[in-house]
Amino acid sequence: MIRFIIPSAVALSCCVVALITMVTNESAANESAAMANAWDDAAVKHHLEAAEYTGVLKHDRLHDLISQGKHLFSARFTLVDGVGRPMATQAIIPTKRKRPPRSEFARTAGLDANACVSCHNQPVAGGAGDFSVNVFVSEGFQLSDFDSTDPQFSNERNTNHLFGAGLVELLAREMTSDLHKIRSSALRTARQKLQEVKLPLTTKGISFGSITAFADGRIDTTDFEGVDDDLIIKPFSQKGVMTSLRQFTVNALNHHHGMQAVERFGARWTGTDDFDEDGINNEMTAGDVSALVAYQATLAVPTVKQVPEDWLRAADRGSVLFDELGCQQCHVRALPLNSLEFNDPGPFDAAGTLRSGEAGTDATYDLSLLNWSATLEQNESGQWMVPLFGDLKRHVIADNQVSRLGNELLSQRFVERNEFMTAELWGIGSTDPYGHRGDITTLSEVIEAHGGEARSARDKYVKLNENARSDINAFLKRMIIESAD
Amino acid sequence: MRYLDGVSRVVPGCLVACCVNTAAANGFSGDVPAYIEEAIPAGINHTYDGPWENFVGGGVATFDCNGDRFPEVFIAGGVNESALYINNSKTGGELRFSRDDSPVTRIKQVTGAYPVNIDNDQWMDLIVLRLGENRILKGQGDCKFSNANAGFGFDGGAEWSTGFTASFFGDDVYPTLAVGNYVDRSAPGSPWGTCSDNMLYRPQLSDSDQLTYSDALPLSPGHCALSILFTDWNRSGEDSLRVTNDRQYHRGGEEQLWKIDGRYPRLYSRADGWQSLVIWGMGIAEADLNADGFPEYALTSMGDTKLQSVDVQQAVEENRPIYEDIGFARGATAHRPYTGNDLKPSTGWHAQFSDVNNDTFLDLFIAKGNVERMTDFAAYDPDNLLLGTSDGLFVEQGDKAGIALDRRGRGAAVEDFNADGLQDLLVVNRSAPVSLFRHGGFKTPGGLLSAVGGNWLAIELNQKNGNRHAVGARLSVKTGNVVQTRKVQIGGGHVSGQSGFIHVGLGVAERATVRVQWPDGEWSAAFRVFANQFALITRGDEKVGYWYPPDDSN
Repeated sequence: MIRFIIPSAVALSCCVVALITMVTNESAANESAAMANAWDDAAVKHHLEAAEYTGVLKHDRLHDLISQGKHLFSARFTLVDGVGRPMATQAIIPTKRKRPPRSEFARTAGLDANACVSCHNQPVAGGAGDFSVNVFVSEGFQLSDFDSTDPQFSNERNTNHLFGAGLVELLAREMTSDLHKIRSSALRTARQKLQEVKLPLTTKGISFGSITAFADGRIDTTDFEGVDDDLIIKPFSQKGVMTSLRQFTVNALNHHHGMQAVERFGARWTGTDDFDEDGINNEMTAGDVSALVAYQATLAVPTVKQVPEDWLRAADRGSVLFDELGCQQCHVRALPLNSLEFNDPGPFDAAGTLRSGEAGTDATYDLSLLNWSATLEQNESGQWMVPLFGDLKRHVIADNQVSRLGNELLSQRFVERNEFMTAELWGIGSTDPYGHRGDITTLSEVIEAHGGEARSARDKYVKLNENARSDINAFLKRMIIESAD
Repeated sequence: MRYLDGVSRVVPGCLVACCVNTAAANGFSGDVPAYIEEAIPAGINHTYDGPWENFVGGGVATFDCNGDRFPEVFIAGGVNESALYINNSKTGGELRFSRDDSPVTRIKQVTGAYPVNIDNDQWMDLIVLRLGENRILKGQGDCKFSNANAGFGFDGGAEWSTGFTASFFGDDVYPTLAVGNYVDRSAPGSPWGTCSDNMLYRPQLSDSDQLTYSDALPLSPGHCALSILFTDWNRSGEDSLRVTNDRQYHRGGEEQLWKIDGRYPRLYSRADGWQSLVIWGMGIAEADLNADGFPEYALTSMGDTKLQSVDVQQAVEENRPIYEDIGFARGATAHRPYTGNDLKPSTGWHAQFSDVNNDTFLDLFIAKGNVERMTDFAAYDPDNLLLGTSDGLFVEQGDKAGIALDRRGRGAAVEDFNADGLQDLLVVNRSAPVSLFRHGGFKTPGGLLSAVGGNWLAIELNQKNGNRHAVGARLSVKTGNVVQTRKVQIGGGHVSGQSGFIHVGLGVAERATVRVQWPDGEWSAAFRVFANQFALITRGDEKVGYWYPPDDSN
């Protein structure tokens, strides 16, 4: 097969691309395998076939998959790989542009990065990003080609780190399962007793309000708190609107790189193997996405920095203050996890993100095979205590007096603009700046910016003297991503 | 009650005209439903049968009559007794029904039936069309019914009834009913050129404030109707009456469109722009395929199915119903069997749009079957499942879906019988058992059978103070730049009607914004609804309610 690649499709209409790009319906995997010379431009030398890694992966297979995922995470995707989406927007639902953008790369609407690691690099690959690599989040349906940082077009977001993300997703899955069981229990009782039943929605000690079920199978969602009506905990993104690493990965590949995953942009849903019309079919296979998920899900958990005695004493005092102020009400120190088995695909994704049984790619990653898992403490019930300092719940974080964190103009995926997922504090000592826009340089500032549901704790903090504030700094700055040192 | 469907999406013309769609070029690239026929295991053993008068008919009504939100089915029997089957299916499980033995619902010479809530009480009523007196069965809860012709002042007549539709006009609290009639067997020269008039029944209140349908108005001339449908063809807010007629028996007849407003209905004429179309009209399905507010119609016939799209400019500016047939361009003619060796023309009956693979692209089911022994038409004539594609085409997948049985289909219902978000299928066959296909998941392009397909929504509408189930309401379901519409209607098909949740496929969208244009034209606020849910929208409520079917855990 001969393929003529146009250096840039930027100024060309899709029609011209179609005329001068000879394409076949062979998969990208086959093509890249056939041209996998070391000097080739393709960053993805080998696409993973769907069934290469299935079942419970033993140590070597798991690490092999992680290694491939790490390569993809760091890969600077090229035109040959399928970078660019000349006729598709950044939207999570496959959405056509009316015309190609004038410039494919743009720091605003994207393409805004060459690789995942371009932003997730602080302090190391998989980490956070500073202000310079903020992301401009928009739905991508209307006005998708904004070239302004004006907040009326997008929400500017700082890059989160991904360390411990596998455990975060596992926690969210177990919590979702618990909430669904509560919903089922309320419905079952209401149906049996032919009466209204109200139950608290509490999982792992976190309250998500209450549910009222009626005898005819209806439920009332009015008293839900910090979770969507579907009672699916969505732990990822600053906003808490992404269910899984897999879903986030598929979104991000398209948004940031124009690398479109088959499981959402492929022919099954769009009728074409080249939805973005860049001349490359099937840009990211299910196996590729699985490798990326495996890499992210197995990143080590952040740790606590070994520090000199004076820092340790200050941190201990800060730890006490942390609780006394009430910070721990949302930044819950640790949540218990029942199982370290990470199934990919996960159980709560919807169509457009691969689901169990869809492509014969179901795999289980036993996180206990990873060295870092030995650092996790277990409670008396044998549950692993995940020290994330979060509650995987959304909260209103701004009010009329303290509104700095309510600085967005656009709601996102049905979540109001002043409501955000509690930021997990583990690793915070390695991931400044702070705030969802990454425009706050010190911990003191970001604590003082807490309004809304955090107002009480924040007000107590504001009244602390400098020494006490310093102690809290000492406590928080011990929480690092190990590789920082 | 039928839900009529549409979609609009931003697609640049260049995409369609110029770019190579490699997947589509190789055939249908989406999910194909894997239908599993299980009528007998499900407990439905029923046959529609009879002599010449039962060559047509054979309808089914699906509706919930016991309040569990699982649809029951009432099936015509012709010379056999009709049957009401209670739905005992488990959520997502195999289909299970039990036959109700009440004599009220065991009626001979039934051709078809439609659910309609006539008196706005809690329970759905049933219009039973017959060879002879039509009946209104008043729902009383727990799937009990009573004969209510007298109570509603309804004269069921003695015709050969083969069509029904209902709608709410103006400020009416109660529905206007219309019955389509076929051949007048008692007229001299019957059956050739002896078509009965269709009938219009407007609701009235008696001196004692009792609802009565005693004011029956003939819609003359009748041309041997086999399907009728109140439809807002020109987005005026007022329904007209679309009638499809069988050229086999009328002489000088044609398809009809009645203007209903005013005391006396009148036909749209040549002067109004109505163009003569003479077909073996068997069934009507309506969908607003491009979500522009102007519905398209699939008209089944012998030979090719018509797919009509109105000239919008003529409709808006001149109120002229001028239609173009887009069936061939869209690949929807379904004019001969798609499998087997029989090249003779098909015979189409019930038609229904629905999204059976939840990909946001509307699909079209057509029940097929030779009238009896018409040698000029295909003998083996399997039902069609035309799956919609991203470029607006329909691609036949009935064989792959497993519905290509050697039976003579008549009426049908595309309906979710086990509350799993997947559209099952019931087909009433002439002189053969009913086919009941459970939607067993999807055959994905990779050849795997997957239990999960695209995302979906099921929506129930309710309003107070009359027209309880919001007949005439329009749903606008927005996901990204895609807008789909559904309209709540009663009528059409081939003597088969439905009531219950309105199904919408969402593809890869996890959530949707839903707006309702209530029957009086008022638009609701936008409701934010999560995918894969049964959503309850009640007029005036600020939030969407959700319903969960019972499962092993609840």
